[in-house]
Amino acid sequence: MSPHPLHSSSGVSDMDEMAATHAHAHAHAHAARAQVVVLPSARPSSPPRASIPVSSSAYAPPQTAAAKLPFSAAVSAPTSASGSITVAIASSGLGPEPSTLTEPVWDTVKRDLARIVSNLKLVVFPNPFREDPGKALRDWDLWGPFFFIVLLGLILSWSATAKKSQVFAVAFAVLAAGAIVLTLNVLLLGGNIIFFQSLSLLGYCLFPLDVGALICMLKDSVILKMVVVTVTLAWSSWAAYPLMSAAVNPKRKALALYPVFLMYISVACLIIAID
Amino acid sequence: MSTQQEVTENYANPKTCFFHVLFKASALAFYILSTLFVNNFVIIFVITVLLAALDFWVVKNVSGRILVGLRWWNEINDEGESVWKFECLDGESLARMNKKDSWLFWWTLYLAAAAWIILGIFSLIRLQADYLLVVGVCLSLSIANIIGFTKCNKDAKKNIQDWTRSALLSGSVRSHLQSAFGV
Repeated sequence: MSPHPLHSSSGVSDMDEMAATHAHAHAHAHAARAQVVVLPSARPSSPPRASIPVSSSAYAPPQTAAAKLPFSAAVSAPTSASGSITVAIASSGLGPEPSTLTEPVWDTVKRDLARIVSNLKLVVFPNPFREDPGKALRDWDLWGPFFFIVLLGLILSWSATAKKSQVFAVAFAVLAAGAIVLTLNVLLLGGNIIFFQSLSLLGYCLFPLDVGALICMLKDSVILKMVVVTVTLAWSSWAAYPLMSAAVNPKRKALALYPVFLMYISVACLIIAID
Repeated sequence: MSTQQEVTENYANPKTCFFHVLFKASALAFYILSTLFVNNFVIIFVITVLLAALDFWVVKNVSGRILVGLRWWNEINDEGESVWKFECLDGESLARMNKKDSWLFWWTLYLAAAAWIILGIFSLIRLQADYLLVVGVCLSLSIANIIGFTKCNKDAKKNIQDWTRSALLSGSVRSHLQSAFGV
């Protein structure tokens, strides 16, 4: 039973899961008791199949612990024989191994928030993975990109004096479709990039442009706008450069990078033009 | 006896069922009512899509694993490859899942996607490209959850079959049954 979690789990997220699991052992014990309470109500739902084993497990907790092992062993053996490596079979809260299936909701929320914060740091602060760009945003998520695209659309539509709806729709469509097209462009150039990781990176790199758009909305000076947008544009491009350049071979690097810069430049033009 | 059991059977997790339905219903209701009475596209877009995203997260991380014992996610391994993970409880736990919870889970999942498709057809008929954008985002979130949980469900059914087979064939089950009858 133990080799399967090790084989199926990998990456930083699993380390976070293990840390969270250890930190909340008491919560798991509480969850286990709650599940024990749930069992009686679950029994009537399936009397024909599991009535006798369920009743025995409910009435005799020590036998439940004893009976659990052969069941788990029997279940895990066919799985390893079939060679299914994409399925991570996890025991329930009653079993010896807690997993993300039985963790409290708050643990899930905290893990997702920590992931978003760590991904944002890769863009805001100098990227520690510039030498190995594939490791950046390995723990990808699309919540940050979604938030930044909507935020940019909101800022632009607030700044616009007329046609707010069109401005928002155009901004959202350009950014969402642009990120997808850019990723497909890299894939079609024969690059080895992961679709969602690329989407995540392009979205997070919008953060500097979001800040620039916010500053431009608050200030009316055209010269200040030019300076701010230029700085944030350079920042976004600098943040996006490593992953995109490493994804394709050096001969085609320009073909992969040019559309990325073009998208960011078009966003910058939108920010400057809308007043 | 069976009739009485059917009457007394109820949802095992009513609170989770409530939140599972709440965000879907609120996203759909807000979109329909707003397009009828409000003309501000930006507000309609932002609130509807936020509700749909919140529903996506709740179904994927909370109600999916509580109501049907399934969870799915994607991660990138050390070799830089994208791996889809489908996680489900062991066969015994899956067999104990409440049938009404499972029924509500799957039906609301499909009905929400069907509702967004119908709304998308209406937007297409009236040539409203901007509202089609809202429907496109909400529909893609719904379909992602349907695909993920459908793949989970296949593995879960295999788990139940494996557990049933091992339970029938295992000798220790007989000894435990005998001891249970003895007690």
